[in-house]
Amino acid sequence: MSETCAVKKVTEITPEEVARVKEWINSAEYREKNLARTATVINPAHACQPLGAQLVAHGFEGTLPFVHGSQGCASYYRSTLNRHFREPAPAVSDAMTEDGAVFGGQNNLHEGLENAYNLYKPKMMAVFTSCMPEVIGDDLNAFIINARNAGLIPQDFPVPYANTPSFNGTHIHGYDAMLKAIMADLTTDKKVEGKNNGKLNLIPGFDANTGNYREYKRICNEFGIPVTVLADISESFDSPLDGTYRPYPGGTPLAEAADALNAQATISLQEHASKETIKWFSSETEAPVEVMPSPIGIANTDAFLMKLGELFGKPVPASLKDERGRAVDAMTDAHQYLHNKKFAIYGDPDYLAGMISFLLEMGARPYHILCSRGNKKVGKFLQALLDKSPYGEGCQIWINKDLWHLHSLVMTDPVDAMIGDTHGKFVARDADIPLIRVGFPIIDRVNLHRSPYIGYQGAINLLTSIANTFLDIVDRTCEDKHFEMMR
Amino acid sequence: MAKKLRQLAIYGKGGIGKSTTTQNTVAGLASLGKKIMIVGCDPKADSTRLILHAKAQETVMDKVRELGTVEDLELEDVLREGYAGVKCVESGGPEPGVGCAGRGVITAINFLEEEGAYTPDLDFVFYDVLGDVVCGGFAMPIRENKAQEIYIVVSGEMMAMYAANNICKGIVKYAASGSVRLGGLICNSRNTDKEAELIEALAAKLGTQMIHFVPRDNQVQRAELRRMTVIEYSPEHKQAEEYRELARKIDENKMLVVPNPLTMDELEGLLMEFGIIEEEDEEIIGKAETA
Amino acid sequence: MEKENSVTKAPLEGIEKEKTEALIEETLELYTEKARKKREPHMTANDPGVEGCTVKSNRKTVPGVMSARGCAYAGAKGVVWGPIRDMVHISHGPVGCGYYSWGTRRNLVEGTMGVDVFSGMQFTSDFQEKDIVYGGDKKLETICNEVRELFPLAKGISVLSECPVGLIGDDINAVAKKASEELQIPVVPCNCEGFRGVSQSLGHHISNDTIRDYIIGTREFAEPATDYDIALIGDYNIGGDAWASKKILEEMGLNVKAIWTGDGQIEHIAATHQVKLNLIHCYRSMNYMAKVMEEKYGIPWMEFNFFGPTKIASSLRAIAARFDQKIQDNAEKIIAEYQPRMQAVIDEYRPRLEGKRVMLFVGGLRPRHTIGAYEDLGMEIIAAGYEFAHNDDYERTYEEMAKGTLVFDDASEIELEKWAEAYRPDLVASGVKEKYVFQKAGIPFRQMHSWDYSGPYHAYDGFPIFARDMDMAINSPTWGLVKAPF
Repeated sequence: MSETCAVKKVTEITPEEVARVKEWINSAEYREKNLARTATVINPAHACQPLGAQLVAHGFEGTLPFVHGSQGCASYYRSTLNRHFREPAPAVSDAMTEDGAVFGGQNNLHEGLENAYNLYKPKMMAVFTSCMPEVIGDDLNAFIINARNAGLIPQDFPVPYANTPSFNGTHIHGYDAMLKAIMADLTTDKKVEGKNNGKLNLIPGFDANTGNYREYKRICNEFGIPVTVLADISESFDSPLDGTYRPYPGGTPLAEAADALNAQATISLQEHASKETIKWFSSETEAPVEVMPSPIGIANTDAFLMKLGELFGKPVPASLKDERGRAVDAMTDAHQYLHNKKFAIYGDPDYLAGMISFLLEMGARPYHILCSRGNKKVGKFLQALLDKSPYGEGCQIWINKDLWHLHSLVMTDPVDAMIGDTHGKFVARDADIPLIRVGFPIIDRVNLHRSPYIGYQGAINLLTSIANTFLDIVDRTCEDKHFEMMR
Repeated sequence: MAKKLRQLAIYGKGGIGKSTTTQNTVAGLASLGKKIMIVGCDPKADSTRLILHAKAQETVMDKVRELGTVEDLELEDVLREGYAGVKCVESGGPEPGVGCAGRGVITAINFLEEEGAYTPDLDFVFYDVLGDVVCGGFAMPIRENKAQEIYIVVSGEMMAMYAANNICKGIVKYAASGSVRLGGLICNSRNTDKEAELIEALAAKLGTQMIHFVPRDNQVQRAELRRMTVIEYSPEHKQAEEYRELARKIDENKMLVVPNPLTMDELEGLLMEFGIIEEEDEEIIGKAETA
Repeated sequence: MEKENSVTKAPLEGIEKEKTEALIEETLELYTEKARKKREPHMTANDPGVEGCTVKSNRKTVPGVMSARGCAYAGAKGVVWGPIRDMVHISHGPVGCGYYSWGTRRNLVEGTMGVDVFSGMQFTSDFQEKDIVYGGDKKLETICNEVRELFPLAKGISVLSECPVGLIGDDINAVAKKASEELQIPVVPCNCEGFRGVSQSLGHHISNDTIRDYIIGTREFAEPATDYDIALIGDYNIGGDAWASKKILEEMGLNVKAIWTGDGQIEHIAATHQVKLNLIHCYRSMNYMAKVMEEKYGIPWMEFNFFGPTKIASSLRAIAARFDQKIQDNAEKIIAEYQPRMQAVIDEYRPRLEGKRVMLFVGGLRPRHTIGAYEDLGMEIIAAGYEFAHNDDYERTYEEMAKGTLVFDDASEIELEKWAEAYRPDLVASGVKEKYVFQKAGIPFRQMHSWDYSGPYHAYDGFPIFARDMDMAINSPTWGLVKAPF
């Protein structure tokens, strides 16, 4: 390169340029360009399959999640769970490297299974895959059988496995694949013809709120319905601090899960996160297998409780009816703070459906609804909910759009607040509107994963945080002459 | 009583006539009243054209590329019915040199399973698999719960036999942990010397059978010009009878084995025995012409 | 680096080589024969100055042991490229890698997000099955065009490959070359697939090489050169670290022309070949380019350490010694000015931290670099290890540690648990994956990758915060509540 003139000088971006572009990115013209994007995904609201698989694995007793693939993948899933729950998330990987890409991952898997089994004494290892073995086409089934035959793990030690390619679907599909694999493994030869253990199998779906799990169990307890939560992460990710570290502090007991095909009924509360699992249950058991909407808001909770009553021949207990009344009371007391308020919401399909239902019940408008990875059916599914209420009119569904699209949407067609995980915070800040944190991951606030948002109590919690957020803003930003004692 | 679905994978060296043999055999089985699905596992997507009378079927991966995601794909987009109700699917994939064709096979088969393509009325699913690759994505059809029987199309040519032996090595690997077995060698004749005897001998050494010797006949090419199988084009022709015979043998085949692949020395010994290759002359190794 | 510390450390009470060796032996007994053989060379009882007493490092992680390590992509995205504020960094491949590394390294930047800075955003090609099967090169080309159109002030694009890209044999280099010419901004292909190498470390190296091949020397500073032009290398501005470091270097009279790469600007980085001296904080991640600039442009480099007043003062003097009397005088002036403030911090916290024992397990630099800061507060380091350090890092570590202390490499979680149980340290300082393990066990903890969402910890602005945080972690009244009275 010539020393004299060829090399360009360092340039600085001027404040004027910044101001100009800053205005431009909030414009309708920019929105059009932004929505026309075909290849780039910017600030997605979805993660990849293995994360969901790991979440499920943590929900079973004594289970060590095992990532077949590059070690960095496991570190990413673990730290994402650590940050959200502020809890340990022990998981191993078999650390595949370049040679694995050429010769396949069997050696890594074998060494990994043997070491993890010996070191961490799990009762089950749930194997799932990151990109590398999926691209090269490793045969997990064969590898695991070979590991047993080589004596690296005992013949009868459960090692369910799921193929969870990161370039297909999202974390909810990994959740589904791993759950189905675990259930199929644990229930092998455990179905007894004619047996009914009187229990409910409850599949919450990809749900990273430990409070929700406790709430499900409490509701079933009120009914007197014995429940097996598949998979129960409530203790795994909300364990006591008492001076002893326990790598497996909770989870659905394996024996209980193994008896799942003898249950009285199965309910899934996230259709999209349990398609394969539900299909499997339906083909393996004659007992009822029901898919219900996530019980966010009153109507969805009503439907859930009535379904429980129907399946188990029990009336909805008076205590829950009272709870419903209290929730409706709370909603009526606070309706004026949410009525006609516009919201932008983003996340997984079933969570969105529940949130839409709740907002419509409040007379609020789920105005921008964004699912950053889904198919056309998801769009239709959500639209059907909007069509049921006058408050759904004019609300817009954005499938396969991301949070940078949402930035354009909110800047050109504003809303009063956003509801969703931490990743929406930049849009909320630019739009100067509050972000009510619900969902996964929440990595900038504490303890929200302990506060349930399902059921009647969850409706009160949601309402409380949304309404009070608006009231806080009024108190903080109103002119002195409008600063009042009562709100 | 529910029928037991048999899933077969046809492997063999590229250019050996695998797709033609597969489609004629499938047509033969179909003419015997069997319900069959063919899954083409080759980016060239030429595994179903004789059944469909088509140049090339729209493939799963083509359609996925068009829609952007496999989740929006419907079964009817990619599943076609052809001669005698034979269902046809092509996995498809990229041109050589880009992307990962093996993954395309995995994607396609996962899709077919999820969308319920494996209906209970089927008697057979045939996977027609690219070349002699028995690793990664191309091994997908012989994994657990997929193809349990493998047939290798071979001829008396040296490279075809090398390839058949290599495929057997792959089968051994998967047989250790699953139920995949070798059903036999299909000799698609190239009219080489003592071809039937040679393949019989190879089969014996591998511990399997030459399930059928398909003679070379130009009727196959005449049918292909019309994008038809011989079975459909000229059901009375003697070549059609050959394929029906092969079909019957496959239908009735009970000889499913874990093969014993030959070492290179054994294979070369066999080839020398039949005069396919000459004994090496140590004197000439590494000597240039002018030296 | 200056060797003023080469006197061996005072022994620590109760820490003896034999005891530590026995603990190592006990730890190794957890393993199978094969795994034991692999792990054994990675831990030792420290004995500075004794030849051959060294820890093996930069080796493949043993499968299944629960390592804390990340991958080459993590090193490229999270450390070297990610912090450069005015470029768009594309996580090229499936959605996960970019998603999990989004905003989790706390590389603060000045500017307006989405307008002139982009490092807080997550750009991904979100590969689908079709991209794996047909290849992603065309998609990448479209992405580059879209980025250029939607972010006109972006000064460049980095393309950070994830695993599938390398496995399917995409040619991102060709795409980048074409895009670079058409879009008139640097488009840098970085082949940092996660399956390459054994840890983040190779990602650092690969990224350094891409800076060498695509960036360095492609710009010149607009203003005339001076004798005091330096670059700050290997400071990623975690919680504002680089700003704290830059501040005192400038107070000393030096011109910090570029920071690599915290709050980094690509054109400044491109012109770094014009500086007079490269100052390296994170040696592990950026020594490669320091050496390249030395060989190619004759720019000398030196390591320094801005953790804790003792190391800051000795580093400032060592840096000043490379310049004229004016700078040396300034250094003394600054030290004199800040020392009383630092002493006040020590006076406040040392009584509460004196004799507290610490186990360190962090990336490739901080264990050895933070020892001085802990010691300024009267704390003792009884064990230290790295996730992805190399031999040269360990060589720089032994002399910082007392004899008989435990030095280790790429620890698995069960090893850390074992050692914490044996030592019952007053503080474990490591990463987020370890944090809650030890807190559940009742052991105070600080995250030393992210400063536990605090910081800065560098330089004189950082030390009071460091001291406050360590005190807060160890002496929080919540620890008194751990045991229930019933």
